[in-house]
Amino acid sequence: MTRATDDVIIKTVSRIFTPFIQIFALYVIMHGHHSPGGGFQGGVILGASFILLVITQGLDRTRRRFSQKLGTIFCSIGLLIYSGIGILCLILGGNYLDYGKLNKILPVIAAEARSLGILGIEIGVGIGVMAVMYSIFSDIVTGGE
Amino acid sequence: MEVTLLVHATDQAFEIIENARRQAVELLNSTVGLAAEEQRWLEEKRIRALFTGAQAVKTRRLNFLGTFFILFFVWCILSGHFDAFHLSLGVICCGLVAHMSHDLLFANVRFVDMRTIAKRFIAYIPWLLEQIVLANIHVAGLALNPKMPIDPKIIRFKTKLESDVSWVTLANSITLTPGTITVDIKEGEFFVHALSKKVARDLLSGEMEDRVAHIYMEADHIYIQDVLDMAHIYGLFRGIGG
Amino acid sequence: MEKFFLGIGIGLCFLVLLCLYRGIFGPTVLNRLAGISAIGTKTLVILLLMGFIYDRVDMFMDISMVYAILNFIGTLAVAKYLETKGEV
Repeated sequence: MTRATDDVIIKTVSRIFTPFIQIFALYVIMHGHHSPGGGFQGGVILGASFILLVITQGLDRTRRRFSQKLGTIFCSIGLLIYSGIGILCLILGGNYLDYGKLNKILPVIAAEARSLGILGIEIGVGIGVMAVMYSIFSDIVTGGE
Repeated sequence: MEVTLLVHATDQAFEIIENARRQAVELLNSTVGLAAEEQRWLEEKRIRALFTGAQAVKTRRLNFLGTFFILFFVWCILSGHFDAFHLSLGVICCGLVAHMSHDLLFANVRFVDMRTIAKRFIAYIPWLLEQIVLANIHVAGLALNPKMPIDPKIIRFKTKLESDVSWVTLANSITLTPGTITVDIKEGEFFVHALSKKVARDLLSGEMEDRVAHIYMEADHIYIQDVLDMAHIYGLFRGIGG
Repeated sequence: MEKFFLGIGIGLCFLVLLCLYRGIFGPTVLNRLAGISAIGTKTLVILLLMGFIYDRVDMFMDISMVYAILNFIGTLAVAKYLETKGEV
């Protein structure tokens, strides 16, 4: 499942389609407060775009683009952003993930600070989910090497 | 006697106008010659620049910018909000995606004729829609007929198109029109499953292939439309010259 | 107008049941794959029609686009898996 397809149509269409899938995934993450979506859904679509690259272009070329080490780093960065915002709120004197206290460092009112805090943790969740999906897929598909 | 004088005077007037016209045409021809030479030289320079290694950086940058603008356009369509917060988010996201995948969208394209290809592609779509509607009516007639006179065959034909994007365009157009489905493409040879003799005949007449070749400027024939598109300066000036 | 979209939606659901026949009783796995992929396409249109009925087109447009992307990638992945004769 890791070889490239030898079908011209699938290779070309997937190659042209991937940036649009990724921009749609980022749109879903960023507009979680307006339309259905949020962090997890956007992360799934981002991960699916990399899986599409793996099954059409082969694992080697996709590994050159997005290595396993980078996948592990992104997992951790996603979790770091999520917990980091929570602990930042703790430091600023509120409860864990109490975004209202973020208005001490950002020049916004408390309600907007909550909205920005939620956006922040959605981004963290999205990055983490994408990295985890890609890592699990490449692990299963290579049989655990 | 007055008539002869009048005729003579008109003759001379026509001669003067004829001379003036000839001089004007010569002047216009010389300016056209200079402009065309400059165009040709710029074109050659651009094509030569595309193949030298130092210009790979420039191609990458152009790829990045092209991808960025297309993605930003798509972002603005998707997100209906145009305030500063969402637009700045859009810029960051489009920059990120363009950095990750700019070599996927524009893999092997010639920039000198990107605009012409885009224009011709947009002009091709209404013709394709008309073909889809006509083929739809034909296949619906076949399916609703109690005898169902279908004659399914797989047709092979070699195509004169060269690049993979034009192959994909032709294959998708064939699959979109009801009655024909592209089954495989092997080294420039198309395997198409056709439902009846009429759709097979329409396919093998080659009109769709000609039109797709016209979009990507790839066929061996010289289309008058191509010459007129590329040299519209000539067309304009020739019209005055007669 | 709502009744019209509702009628079309019910017609499409009936067509989904027809495709489901092939999805259940298809002699080979590839038949089932083609049937499910066709159901995916019809689901897309049904979602959009529901958006028109509930008068919230923008929301259902996002959902249907997500489903279109996932249907495409899913069909490709399953086809690739079956091409290598069931080996991962």
